[in-house]
Amino acid sequence: MNAPLVQMSSVTKHFGARQVLDRLDWQVAPGQVIGLLGRNGAGKSTLLECMLGLREVDGGTVSMFGEDAAALSDGARARIGYVPQKSDLFDWLTPLQMLEYFEAMYPRWNKGKVEGLLSRWGFDPYKRNSPIKKLSGGEQQRLSIIRALAHDPDLLILDEPVSALDPVGRRDFLRELVDQVIERGTTVVFSTHILSDLERVAFDLAFLKDGRIALQGQLDALLEGARRVVAAPHALPAGRLQGELRRSYEGALTSVIVQADYEQLAQLAGKPGVRIETLSLEDLFIEMTREG
Amino acid sequence: MTDHTANLFSIATGSSEPIYRQLVEQVRRLAAAGQLKPGDGMPSVREIASSLALNPMTVSKAYSLLEMDGVLARRRGLGMVVANFAPARPADRVELLRPALERAALEARQLELEPDTVLTLFETILKEAK
Repeated sequence: MNAPLVQMSSVTKHFGARQVLDRLDWQVAPGQVIGLLGRNGAGKSTLLECMLGLREVDGGTVSMFGEDAAALSDGARARIGYVPQKSDLFDWLTPLQMLEYFEAMYPRWNKGKVEGLLSRWGFDPYKRNSPIKKLSGGEQQRLSIIRALAHDPDLLILDEPVSALDPVGRRDFLRELVDQVIERGTTVVFSTHILSDLERVAFDLAFLKDGRIALQGQLDALLEGARRVVAAPHALPAGRLQGELRRSYEGALTSVIVQADYEQLAQLAGKPGVRIETLSLEDLFIEMTREG
Repeated sequence: MTDHTANLFSIATGSSEPIYRQLVEQVRRLAAAGQLKPGDGMPSVREIASSLALNPMTVSKAYSLLEMDGVLARRRGLGMVVANFAPARPADRVELLRPALERAALEARQLELEPDTVLTLFETILKEAK
């Protein structure tokens, strides 16, 4: 594998007494398209902000393009696109004024792309010249995405990029991501709760839980390998199962989530009182981020 | 010979079957049933990715598997075409139903239904669709 674009080592972050990131290790390799999953309040935005050097970390190191994230060079900064969860920056400007302002900061600004996206995503002359704060939440989010894509970034970081978009807007955004961004080999990290979108475009998944990346892997492999084994406790072998991710007790039954080891599953499947179920991404999300 | 479009495919999110698997199984079923004929042109990876809003790597993965299995073949300048495979015998074709039936069997067991009851229902469904 190539040297990682982003390298986070033992990153710790507190807000007051609350620990949000706990000695978190994470790497993002060039060309990866990673979905970042976690419950509300798990710290996904904090993680992305620390990654971008927008927040100081209490411990550990973050590097991007081989540079310290807290002191990125202009060259490295120009290679990053970022869509924050909520952008209220420059909302007194009109879309055209805001884009002009950013154009001056980026050597690689793609005017044709900006124009194309503005017209395809419903920015008529009236909207282009209205103050951003007068636009709807969805329009503001689309504008924020256009700004992040305008300089053809090598690394695109999206924090809940579609939360305010309707299904049509989400599909338009996904198409743009597939046709223009992923096709160019851009590295993409995005957090979202809309698992159907994630399933379409993410190749890798990372689960954030208790301040760490609790599980990471290829989406396909995670889905194909994940099983829920439900059985009376005496029907299961003593100790942990191979690839065991979590175990819970529901009444008289034990439920174990495993990354499948086929031999073991075949053995278990033959036993009376053992039920083996496949999991959807939503099941996996719920199981991997559940408390306790 | 027909050139097929991405309309060939329909995928379901929220399933326990990864999307690349769904694409592979759909092509296999269509080829086994003769809806895809040897020499037919397949839509490009890009076309499918864009039309279904899927990561192109997912589509490539499905195509590579189908190529390895001899269902599809890469033709220079033409992209992917349906390979010159021997049409599946009914005995092989029915195997393609196994994953769907295994899922149904699991649910039938959970509902504690008798095999005869389930088979009768399946027969009724098969006749309804005709």
